[in-house]
Amino acid sequence: MEDLLKPDYGVLVLTVCNFLLLVYLLKKFAWNLIIGGLEKREQQIANDKKQAQDARAAAETLKRELDEKLAQISDEAAKKVAEAVKIGETQKEQILSAAKEQSERLLEQAKTQIEAEKNKALADVRGEIARTAVLAASKVVAQQMSEESAKSVVDRVLEEIKAK
Amino acid sequence: MDVAEIIAHHILDHDWGVSLAGFHLPITTHTVTLLSVSLVLLLGLAWIARMGQKSRAGRLLTTLSETYVSFIRDGIVLPNMGQEGRQMLPYFCTLFLFVLCVALAGLIPNMKTATANISVTAALALCSGGLILYCGLKFHGPIGFLKGFIPSGTPGWLVPLIFPLEVVSMIIKVCVLAIRLFANMLSGHMVLICLLLIIFVVGQMHIAAGAGALLPAMGLEIFMTCLELLVAFLQAYVFTLLTSIFAGSVIHTH
Repeated sequence: MEDLLKPDYGVLVLTVCNFLLLVYLLKKFAWNLIIGGLEKREQQIANDKKQAQDARAAAETLKRELDEKLAQISDEAAKKVAEAVKIGETQKEQILSAAKEQSERLLEQAKTQIEAEKNKALADVRGEIARTAVLAASKVVAQQMSEESAKSVVDRVLEEIKAK
Repeated sequence: MDVAEIIAHHILDHDWGVSLAGFHLPITTHTVTLLSVSLVLLLGLAWIARMGQKSRAGRLLTTLSETYVSFIRDGIVLPNMGQEGRQMLPYFCTLFLFVLCVALAGLIPNMKTATANISVTAALALCSGGLILYCGLKFHGPIGFLKGFIPSGTPGWLVPLIFPLEVVSMIIKVCVLAIRLFANMLSGHMVLICLLLIIFVVGQMHIAAGAGALLPAMGLEIFMTCLELLVAFLQAYVFTLLTSIFAGSVIHTH
């Protein structure tokens, strides 16, 4: 059992040579290729990641710009709507005012016309009454009175009618 | 029944090497295991690296090998050695896999755990010591490397005392690498053979007692084998991690 701790220099040298040769050969035929492939893939992933980040940043910038434009357009639309409402209100006031004026004018015209018609009718009535009265009077006077007294009677009658 | 002899036979290396012109070529169970593992690793990894992308299994193995390299690089080398450790990455990738596969090879019948041999672990520690020395000389030059053994702020009169202590400390660290791996691998195998021997020792008293000890002993044996698997991974990780820490301490001095 004491041989357990007794170094065998032959084995030691052989192991050193074997291990160092293995390191060299594996480096040349395996690790360089595997590490190269790994680093290439990592580089590709890093590039893809960077591209994705750039694209994301560009998309975010574009989104921000579009949001700003959208907000601007919304503001403009709101302003235009408010302006249109204002114009509408003004036009409504104008139309109402014009309509009121026109109705008042028409009413006034109608009143004037009615007054004129009324006066005309009254004048006609007066003329008719006068003629009738004269006719009646002339018939009475022709029988009883002179022409002058008859006229004075007619005038008095006319005055009385006017007074009524 | 000589239990000590059986254990020694199971644990110790068996040399049937040849001597040529005064030079002894150590063909032992451990060196054969080492060479077999090396050959399998070399052929397997070279195949994965070159032919891996041509088949589905190859692509899977390539992905697996890249994951392994990432683990060694990002989990062990870069945190302890910084960017300077990148060029030593093939060494650490080989070291972890070699220590692990040699330990696992002991679980294959007719093969032995070569890392249960102090000469093998000493050789691996020697290589790690060489790497530490190489890192020190490469990044700081001979004078800078030696200066690195003197902590900053040390009074001048303490330097003659501190310097040898620091040098010895570094040598001991490297030696401890070898002893830790050796002791862990050896103890695991000793426990395994001892558990098996319980059956025969008890069986010598009475055959029925031996049969009764069979199941508990085999249960413990399976448990210990699983533990050995865990220890194999753990020791490979510890050996690689400590080597990178020591090399990193030399690269990034005080």
